[in-house]
Amino acid sequence: VAVPISNQIRRLRFEHGEMTQGELAEKIGMTRQTVAAIEAGKYSPSLEAAFRIAQVFGVGVEEVFRWEG
Amino acid sequence: MSFREKAAWINLAIILVFLTVYFGALITGRIAHGPGAFHYLLFCAAACAVLKAILTFAAVQTTSRDGRTPADEREVAIERRSEALGYNVLVWLVILLGIPMHLGHPPADLMNFALLDVVLSALVVVVAQLVMFRRGI
Repeated sequence: VAVPISNQIRRLRFEHGEMTQGELAEKIGMTRQTVAAIEAGKYSPSLEAAFRIAQVFGVGVEEVFRWEG
Repeated sequence: MSFREKAAWINLAIILVFLTVYFGALITGRIAHGPGAFHYLLFCAAACAVLKAILTFAAVQTTSRDGRTPADEREVAIERRSEALGYNVLVWLVILLGIPMHLGHPPADLMNFALLDVVLSALVVVVAQLVMFRRGI
């Protein structure tokens, strides 16, 4: 089920030394499968998880996630 | 595949084995009602428990480290949604249990119908989990 939220996680991972989904998952305390689901737009993370992801990339949460509804 | 998704597949396999072996024997008449049926039920339950322990051990051994971390928010959400669905299915199945009761089935049959309700609701929980793991929530 696709959610109306787009994200830039794939691009940001690429720009941060081609960080793997597993590495990102470890940094935010989630499983690689959940990171893959977020990246594919199959799961909307909690606000806390969204901020954790943005923090890893050193950007604001609005640069990672965008409402497309 | 994460450890929890593997666990869901294992549960699906166990439920299908139990449905086939126990209820299959009941429907085809290979076991008669009475103490023998109860002993057969205990045997099937014990065999399924042993089979699940073996498969779970194998899943732990073959799952990479990130699959064995504590459940994260998505996995918890999947668990909660699937269990809520399974609960609702169980409630309706228990209500439907009134039909064989009204038709005057013996207590042993009613016990098996009740057991079938529990197994079917568990089946719904596992299938819902697998769908959500695969298609997203």
